[in-house]
Amino acid sequence: MIANQITASSADALLKSSRQTQAAREAKAARQGTLVERFGILLPCVVVAAFGVILVPNFLSASNIANILVNASLMAIIGFGMTLVIALRGFDLSVGSTMALTACVTAMMVGTAGLWLGMAAGIVVGAAVGLFNGLIIAYIKVPAFVATLGTMAIIRGVALLITGGGSILIGDPSFGAIALSRVFGIPSPVIIALVLLAVLYLVLERTPFGRHVCAVGGRPEAAIDSGIDVKQVTLKSFVIVGVCVGVAGVITASQLGFVDGTLGMGLELQIIAITVLGGTSLSGGSGNVVGTFIAAVLLATISSGLNLLNIPAFYQYLSVGFLLLFALSLDSLRVRSQRRALLWA
Amino acid sequence: MVDERKSRTAKADFASGSEGHVMKDLIGRYYLQVILLVAVALLAVAVPNFRSLSNIQNTLLQASFAGLVACGMTLLIAGGVFDLSVAGIIAVCGVAVAEILPTTTTGVAIGAALLIGMALGALNGFIVTKIRIPAFIATLATLNIYLGVAFIWTQAKVVPIVSTNFLELGNSSILSIPLAFVVFVAVCVLSHLLLHRTYFGRSLRAIGSSEQAASMAGLPVVRVKILTFVVTGLFTGIAAVALSALLSSANGTMATGIELNAIAIAVVGGTALRGGQGTLLGTFTGALVFAVLNNALNLLRVDPYWQYVSVGLVLVIALAIGAARKTASVRGAE
Repeated sequence: MIANQITASSADALLKSSRQTQAAREAKAARQGTLVERFGILLPCVVVAAFGVILVPNFLSASNIANILVNASLMAIIGFGMTLVIALRGFDLSVGSTMALTACVTAMMVGTAGLWLGMAAGIVVGAAVGLFNGLIIAYIKVPAFVATLGTMAIIRGVALLITGGGSILIGDPSFGAIALSRVFGIPSPVIIALVLLAVLYLVLERTPFGRHVCAVGGRPEAAIDSGIDVKQVTLKSFVIVGVCVGVAGVITASQLGFVDGTLGMGLELQIIAITVLGGTSLSGGSGNVVGTFIAAVLLATISSGLNLLNIPAFYQYLSVGFLLLFALSLDSLRVRSQRRALLWA
Repeated sequence: MVDERKSRTAKADFASGSEGHVMKDLIGRYYLQVILLVAVALLAVAVPNFRSLSNIQNTLLQASFAGLVACGMTLLIAGGVFDLSVAGIIAVCGVAVAEILPTTTTGVAIGAALLIGMALGALNGFIVTKIRIPAFIATLATLNIYLGVAFIWTQAKVVPIVSTNFLELGNSSILSIPLAFVVFVAVCVLSHLLLHRTYFGRSLRAIGSSEQAASMAGLPVVRVKILTFVVTGLFTGIAAVALSALLSSANGTMATGIELNAIAIAVVGGTALRGGQGTLLGTFTGALVFAVLNNALNLLRVDPYWQYVSVGLVLVIALAIGAARKTASVRGAE
């Protein structure tokens, strides 16, 4: 009887201590995981920036930094939307074409319907394309990857058709002034990107909709069973990407002053690259918009550095490729170290 | 909206339960082939230029390039992976042929290009299986790297090919069928046998269905996956040689976007993206469907920009049909 009690209590203690160590392991694994996940992307960023400062003479000039930030903002704005759909375990390959279409529509409408109506038209067209994608994916149940592969071609065709294959010159100088304007010394595209970043961060982290997106991306079956309207969530997410692309298209049109239907070819892969570099896993279930922004700044920094060093543009292909491989090796290392920490630590 | 869907599936159920099973099954199974034949027959009657020998040769040739790549892509998709780097592999192989040709014989140059294709494929496979990066994003990275290599090798210039032997070989034909198309048919048959008649193919499909189950069953997952990437690299190398012979030059942008074409061909052909199965007859038909479509639009003098729209529409419609059939069959199984 007493012996039994003793063994029972010692077993209890053993269980308790083993639970504690298990909990400690899990906490450590999670800590290591989030640390690398959140800040792993900063490592190449710091390295590249350091190289930039040392090697490139005018790197830290105000105009160059503003230039880098504007270019990064354009990529990041689309990247935020992409982050959302990748968190949903979706994809959007049509962003490059959609950006061309929205930029062309904006350019045409600004000339005929006025400044504000033209910009609104661009964003509405973006949202409409997103709605179209969302309907095909959520309601006809075509996988997002191939569905947007199809709409990518369709929308590219539409963009080329409405421009007749030529380029459109935007006559209105006040439209061009928007991309060049500054608020408190910060270029307005950067401000727009930061506002969108804040909004989408709050949406993803603090709203039911954001939780639903992550739930659908993490475990679609469980999401359906817990009563989440998967179709609605999918549809809304794709409309949000469309709006993001529309905003980017409007800014691009304003920045360039003339647009054509071939704008943004191959952009989709670049945007997916910054999203993944930013720490958003392709397997869905979580999105890191802050990481996406940092990754966009990183890529813009690299291309600016290469430009200032007069290195041919095609070396950028190599840098993007190696950065992706590097960041992803880090990611797979993280998964493995997490697993190891759970087993042995 | 909901009511509409219900009535539509109800109709589909009714149709599948009615008479004429055999005929319907055949048409249901080979609907793409039927559509292609009907389209070709209509075009042959309506558009005189379509029947001309040179146009038929041209269409078959156009079908071959993306088709060759799509054969490899079908194998990869059956195994649950992807290769987005094929445009990069074509660029490097094409540039390799163009650069090596002046110094050696045609055979050696072609052999070197195919070897390079296989090596690049092996590198993809290594990164996907050993470093464990998802295929989609790993090959996106290698696409950038391979394109970078091709551009740096050529200094972003076009490399002309002057070797008459090589160009003659590329433009030769057997019984007035272009050599590239003959090779494409052979590759299709080979891939079909590989996927459906060999131990390797069975392992590949098992891995595509469930990698975990396959690895628990003791299948050599890593080796099979790497080999599939190597095979795709080989097919892509062949496409590169054929394409550089047609263009009589090579450069870094010679095949931009072909990865998406190849995936579209495989998917329209009926190979599901979720892996575990693949149909080479479908891929063959899919390649011809896109080539005939583009050719017809050209002959009918449709604005070339409509080609983007029509190719995209064909893809979306084919996918929608596939999704509807899947839903219907799932409902039937229940």
